[in-house]
Amino acid sequence: MQPSDIRRLVIDWLDDNYHFGEAEALIGDDEDKSFLRNGVLDSLGFVKLILHLEDACNVQIDRKDVSPANFDSLLKVVTYVSAQLTKART
Amino acid sequence: MTPIYLAPDAAVAQHSQMRAFADCAAGVVGRAFPDYASLNRWACDDFRAFWRTFVDWSRLDISGNLDPVCVGDAVETARFFPGLRLNYARNLLRPLSGVDERGPALILRTESGERREIDRAALRSRALAVAAALQEQGVRAGDRVAALARNAPEALEVCLGSAALGATWSSVAPDLGTEAVLGRFQQLEPVVLFAHTEYVHHGVRRSLEDRVRTLVAELPSVRQLVVLDGPVPAGLRDGVRVSRLEDFRARQPLELDALEDFPFDHPLFVLFSSGTTGVPKCIVHGAGGTLLEHVKEHRLHTDLRPTDRLYFHTSAGWMMWNWQLTALATGTPVLLYDGSPSFPDATVLLRVLDEERISVFGTSPAYIQLLKESGVEPRAVGRFEALRALQSTGSILYDAQFDWIGEHFKRVPIHSISGGTDIIGCFMLGNPLMPVYRGESQSLSLGLDVRVLAEPGLQRTGVGDLVCVNPFPSRPVFIWNDPQGARFHASYFAENEGLWTHGDRVHLTEWGSARVLGRSDGTMKIRGVRIGPAELYSVVLAIPGVSEAMAVEQADPREPGGSRIILLVVLAAGQTLDREQTLRIKKALSQKASPVHVPAVIAQVSGLPQTLNGKYSERAARDIVNGRAPPNRAALRNPEVLDELLAHPALQPPQPFMGDRAK
Repeated sequence: MQPSDIRRLVIDWLDDNYHFGEAEALIGDDEDKSFLRNGVLDSLGFVKLILHLEDACNVQIDRKDVSPANFDSLLKVVTYVSAQLTKART
Repeated sequence: MTPIYLAPDAAVAQHSQMRAFADCAAGVVGRAFPDYASLNRWACDDFRAFWRTFVDWSRLDISGNLDPVCVGDAVETARFFPGLRLNYARNLLRPLSGVDERGPALILRTESGERREIDRAALRSRALAVAAALQEQGVRAGDRVAALARNAPEALEVCLGSAALGATWSSVAPDLGTEAVLGRFQQLEPVVLFAHTEYVHHGVRRSLEDRVRTLVAELPSVRQLVVLDGPVPAGLRDGVRVSRLEDFRARQPLELDALEDFPFDHPLFVLFSSGTTGVPKCIVHGAGGTLLEHVKEHRLHTDLRPTDRLYFHTSAGWMMWNWQLTALATGTPVLLYDGSPSFPDATVLLRVLDEERISVFGTSPAYIQLLKESGVEPRAVGRFEALRALQSTGSILYDAQFDWIGEHFKRVPIHSISGGTDIIGCFMLGNPLMPVYRGESQSLSLGLDVRVLAEPGLQRTGVGDLVCVNPFPSRPVFIWNDPQGARFHASYFAENEGLWTHGDRVHLTEWGSARVLGRSDGTMKIRGVRIGPAELYSVVLAIPGVSEAMAVEQADPREPGGSRIILLVVLAAGQTLDREQTLRIKKALSQKASPVHVPAVIAQVSGLPQTLNGKYSERAARDIVNGRAPPNRAALRNPEVLDELLAHPALQPPQPFMGDRAK
């Protein structure tokens, strides 16, 4: 799974559950824009997103890693999940 | 407050029968009823005075004592008018002051283009000749008479002939399968079977001979078969007499005035529940309760008069067939349409309504949707000059459908009526004194103390389960083969002791209107929020391309509340549910309902499960998406859609998340 696939996965999930076709526009050009501070996701949404990523990307996310530092923007999510997938492969 | 769709016409209200009755009641009780709210409050609080006043005012043909009006105060056991006697058929067939005996009582139009008219004198003569023939065959009061019948005048004639003798009538329509018919009639053990032996629907002529042969063979109680129209089936069981209707009734009619009066609770009609949970219930309705409730609904709520012409789209297997029949007691001519309302095209019924100068048109949300989906512009089909009210029932008529009717058909009062088989009448009706609010039923039925049951208890307004707290005459007199009343109690009273619990989730508004939100057992609880499926339908069905929708709750261990919403949609012909349309539906629900209303899954299907009565069965779909077998496939009109749901990959019961599974 490439970073672009993970990015698409997150955008689609945001559209399916919260923004219905407007997620990409809401995030805009700054893909490191904070989800929490910009109304992209709330804390309940965070939990659901992590569960979804585990299922869809077949990765185990260590609950100690669940923090805004790893998940509070599109860029952070893609970077974190890509790293986990690489780690799992090696 | 909901926007007003149409304000009441002051002149219509002033001259309405509801106003006349309110003034009459004011004279009786010595206080004014300036509006419907005050009238209904009195009619509910002092229901004995109300029903007695109504019987006096309506001038029905009755004998015996009006006192006591009602024995007992419990809805489940109270009995109305134990000293009063009447003959239902005589009340419908008698000459009425100011009504032309040679004017039409029944008008038949068929999809094949046939037109027939039967005047009141001829209808009386024919029905009473049928009564004479039944009497000769030894049919007595209380015997059951069954019919497999098209929506045609001869079916109404023989129904009235049976009722004239005090026989108990039960009918089904030709589209009901043999097993389903037997599941109903075998319980009743009818002595006479009336049957059409062929019918035409959507341009196709179908024989009913095999079915009639099987019914006669499997109903050993039947002594006489009367063929209403069509060939006489060969090879019938020995011991059953067979006649054609014209031969059967070739007799001197009984005298109308010589007909016997029967007790108020004498069994008149047997209607059937859909049977989704087992063998259909045979719901027995009394002659007095049926007559009184129907006349009240016709004259007061619908303002029906002899100068009107009523058409209600129904079949002999639905309670609205019995309901329209009683309009004869008011002297209103009734149009019957036999065939498909959309053959050879979707304008056919509209042309008939216009040509026959129908003033009150009863239909269903499905028909309105059919017109809309077919691109029909009713205004271009006819002028509908006589039309003064449009009634709709069977399912919920949504706000957008009100708008469509007003913009494309005619802006007349819309009576979104609701009640059903169980009460052979309505809890929600039209009302000439009140405005029509968009998407809502105008008013509650006079004298029926309807409340909602919700936390913290009974309320006059708000959202909750519909209950009726006072006795009413059109409650079933009993359920067939239920001598101890256990099934009767379980059906209507077990859930809330002492209250008639109807099974509908409703919103009773502060301004006196009402809105059905769906069946109570279809209510979903998502993240702690109770959601009626209709809350979704009103939004989804307004989206172009969506023809039908059904929402059900599916258990989902991954969701915070343990469940999620599944939305099934049927799209207009040729359309496929793509991502764009999926997101459009979700967005509309999020914005117009709430984020909690957004379904987790939207799945396109070719059809939605419907009961034999044509009602959508959320229960069947819910069982399937939760991995349970539906209770009774035979109770569905289209059981094949269950297989489609079973095989649909998006509808499989969800598994726990990977992390949870590992635990």
